[in-house]
Amino acid sequence: MKLSIRHSTEYRYSEQVLHSTQYLRLTPRPSARQRILHWHLDMPEPASEASDGFGNILHVLTLDQPHEAIHLTATGEVEIEGEDREDDDTRISPLVYCRYSPFTRPDSLLHELARSHQRAAGTLTNLEGLSETILSRMPFTPGVTDVSSTAAEAYRLRKGVCQDHTHVFLSCCRALGIPARYVSGYLYSDDSEHVASHAWAEVWFDERWHTFDVTNQTRRPRRHLKLAVGFDYLDACPVRGVRYGGGVESLRAAALVRQTGAGDQ
Amino acid sequence: MQSITPPAVSGFDEMFAREGAVRPHYSSYHGWLLGQSNELLHRKRQEAELLFHRVGITFNVYGEESGAERLIPFDVVPRIIPEQEWRHLEQGTAQRVRALNQFLDDIYHGQEIIRAGRIPADQIYGNAHYQPCMQDVDLPNQVYSHVSGVDLIRDGEGTWYVLEDNLRTPSGVSYMIENRRVMMRLFPELFAGQSVAPVEHYPSLLLDTLQHSSAVAYPTVVLLTPGRFNSAYFEHAFLAQQMGIELVEGADLFVKDGFVYMRTTAGPQRVDVIYRRIDDDFLDPLAFNPDSMLGVPGLLSVYRQGKVVLANAIGSGVGDDKSIYPYVPEMIRFYLGEEPILENVPTRLCRRPEDLQYVLEHLPELVVKEVHGAGGYGMLVGPAASREEIDSFRQRLRARPDNYIAQPTLSLSTCPIFVEQGIAPRHIDLRPFVLSDGRATRMVPGGLTRVAMNAGSLVVNSSQGGGTKDTWVVEAPSC
Amino acid sequence: MLSRTASDLYWLSRLVERAENTARMLDVAWNLSMMPFVANPRDEMMAPLMISGTHELYMSRHDDVQVREVLHFFTLDQDNPGSIFNCLRLARENGHAVRGKITAEMWESINSTWLELKEIRRGGLDQYGASAFFDWVKKRSHLFRGATYGTIMRNDAFRFLRIGTFIERADNTARILDVKYQIGTLYGSHHGVPSGGDAMDFYRWHALLHSVGAYESYRELYSEAINADRVAELLVLGAEVPRSLRSCMQMLCELLPAIEGQTGQTAKRLAAVQFARLQYGDLEHVLDTGLHDYLTDFLRRINELADTIREEYLEVV
Repeated sequence: MKLSIRHSTEYRYSEQVLHSTQYLRLTPRPSARQRILHWHLDMPEPASEASDGFGNILHVLTLDQPHEAIHLTATGEVEIEGEDREDDDTRISPLVYCRYSPFTRPDSLLHELARSHQRAAGTLTNLEGLSETILSRMPFTPGVTDVSSTAAEAYRLRKGVCQDHTHVFLSCCRALGIPARYVSGYLYSDDSEHVASHAWAEVWFDERWHTFDVTNQTRRPRRHLKLAVGFDYLDACPVRGVRYGGGVESLRAAALVRQTGAGDQ
Repeated sequence: MQSITPPAVSGFDEMFAREGAVRPHYSSYHGWLLGQSNELLHRKRQEAELLFHRVGITFNVYGEESGAERLIPFDVVPRIIPEQEWRHLEQGTAQRVRALNQFLDDIYHGQEIIRAGRIPADQIYGNAHYQPCMQDVDLPNQVYSHVSGVDLIRDGEGTWYVLEDNLRTPSGVSYMIENRRVMMRLFPELFAGQSVAPVEHYPSLLLDTLQHSSAVAYPTVVLLTPGRFNSAYFEHAFLAQQMGIELVEGADLFVKDGFVYMRTTAGPQRVDVIYRRIDDDFLDPLAFNPDSMLGVPGLLSVYRQGKVVLANAIGSGVGDDKSIYPYVPEMIRFYLGEEPILENVPTRLCRRPEDLQYVLEHLPELVVKEVHGAGGYGMLVGPAASREEIDSFRQRLRARPDNYIAQPTLSLSTCPIFVEQGIAPRHIDLRPFVLSDGRATRMVPGGLTRVAMNAGSLVVNSSQGGGTKDTWVVEAPSC
Repeated sequence: MLSRTASDLYWLSRLVERAENTARMLDVAWNLSMMPFVANPRDEMMAPLMISGTHELYMSRHDDVQVREVLHFFTLDQDNPGSIFNCLRLARENGHAVRGKITAEMWESINSTWLELKEIRRGGLDQYGASAFFDWVKKRSHLFRGATYGTIMRNDAFRFLRIGTFIERADNTARILDVKYQIGTLYGSHHGVPSGGDAMDFYRWHALLHSVGAYESYRELYSEAINADRVAELLVLGAEVPRSLRSCMQMLCELLPAIEGQTGQTAKRLAAVQFARLQYGDLEHVLDTGLHDYLTDFLRRINELADTIREEYLEVV
């Protein structure tokens, strides 16, 4: 499936920002599953390109002149292969992903949720059961949680979005000693009004990573374009920044993913 | 004439042998000490305090009213180590630090030691101080811990043991230097009488080490401090001044175009080496703790590209963690092919069921420590604890056994200190500082001797009322 | 030099200078308030509140202007950010932060000032005596300046210390002159007492000269009786008077270009322009413009210069 992506993010500030530095994970890495046909990142200033510790492509953007807005746009075209299998794309031991992170530290409720799926821990059926339970207990509901909600907080609210589903799922996997990681990226849906930015999980067993998209109850990432992986949202989110000054920040983001067939254009 | 309280019969005293005989390396000092009046020593101690106040060698105490400063108690009686013995300690600590640096390089690259089955994989990957972002990052000279502090103690027989390694941001070296300066001012006659090995060149060795840790020809070196409310701020300011480098805070630095710069009155200036006295978690709010304003946003990305050197390296903490400590002798054998010169304190890992069982049964006689703890916090000293304390600790142990290790209560050696009534023994330890830059592993002869100021106490940490004294390495008297 | 270090040094000396100026200003106001022909002592105590722009802050916590309250407000009041107590406390904090960049004598001077001030505050101003306190503040400021001048290397650290001093001093001299002049005018029209007016005028200008330590200079330079125009000339244009606007600008013009590196072009230009205006200025021009308008313009310019120095040299985000 060939997808075209346009993702624009605009930060506006009520006061002048004196200095800001951003880590941008807005560029997908090529793999056997996703072929990057072209990709462009439009930024206020050139950024230095690096890789982070998780193997993601990282742009470091420093704005050291006063500014009142930051506008970022990623555009590109990719080919998603039918293959479900992920490359082993980093040299970090998967065992590292057993570690709790700030967003995935389980509380007693999450421990209980994990334990209730423990019997056959490590088998597929069981993780799918966990995934089903999570979605049924916390139906997709925007506006209840925010980007700073932890797994434990979201689970207590019994509602959430893909980020929360993924965090809760990761928290339980790790509580069971199963390596699991956070994935941020884009999702194509036939309904173009649907939010295209997405998050899902990957679990390590049988010597490879397996996709678990809790929100969509799918294990086949056929419409998924992967941007970055990490312990949780903080490591993988497309934009993470620190600024000095600026007052109140307002964010406008729009991600548009369309299918571009051979006949188009 | 001085009144000297003899040490306990059971322990090891640095000045007196079992039968009360003065050890040879203390004979000259002891002779001098007998001739000093209480009043004189008292006056000298007051003079010392005045000197410390004047240079501003104070210490901020956590939890006290912000800006509260106080002096670490200083004792005027030196701790003397014969040169011969120092050579042994020097070789032993240097050996240890070499092995630990190789261990860190291995852990963040090929992980031979795990593959060889000498250390369990989950001990590394599950360790919060193992930083995955350091995997496969090549550091200049393969050095991780440029500055290491190795804590040494001796038991009742006088045998030396390594109590712990400090590979993150070991502190206290300024006291080693200031203590010597003050002693030389107070008692010049003592230094004329015998040859005490000098330690004051430590800052120039440190600067040399930091400069050689970078591939840049004339690197700009800075010291990064959390700021003036940090308990060790004095030391940061002191070392920066002694080395003639800038003392910077996170806000003084920024990242741009793949390099680190500091803001100066003449515009941005590139920084090549950062001697950082900030923990990993606070170094880069974009990669670690997002709430920290102490660090430099973007620093990790520059570091991973090799465009700045951090001393010590990010992720060095996995080498000094208490859960890794028991494996250090094995590392020495594995990487260096040598037998450890200095012994470990026999340690039980509560994550092992059989060890946990033993520890739970013997709590009143053991010292139990949190694996990630530091500064003497969160530990149980069995023999000194009440029944209630032991019971509540037992529950914490059961709840999270992998969070604890246990060791036998070692008595720690004693050394005489000056107290109101005269001279009396107190427990001490020793922290020498080891500098590594890939060419050599160096140290100045001496270190920081910490003293438990209360009779019988084994807690030497300055944060809990411990004091310090000057440490002399002297040539043994020729017989 | 690190921008933060330069900033700490700049504020260290600026705050010491501010403490001294506050003491001078209060000393004069207080002395005037005790003059037998002053109808209401409180009127004289208004001046310091107006000069420092703290009238509102003061009135938010006091019902009216009372001599004793105003004295406390400016000296030992912890809640007034501009009190001498707070100036010296912050100066000492800045000194502590740059302990490695200043000499032992400088540090001991500012540190012992702070320790003594805490003692004085414990006893209260009444116990120490207001006059004795003002003298003490001036003496401590002299001591610090002397220690600085006599011990520190002539490098950028020295320059930023001096820049802080002269920015603060120029600002203060302009304010004090402006307010005294306004009060003078105010009285003339308000009370309309031509008879007593002359004597009061004399004492007022006399006091102003004392407050900026320029009384002797006036006597040396002018043979005529003290009058407003001459005082203005002396304090605005006087080349020989260390607290005149011209002298302060001259020092800033010498210091800024000596700082290492190529930054600070705007600050250097602003300082040079302002110095030229004073160097080649004359009294007619000042009086034609009107002293109040002239000083208002000067204050705007000196603040613009201070802001530019901050932006170009001192700013750490």
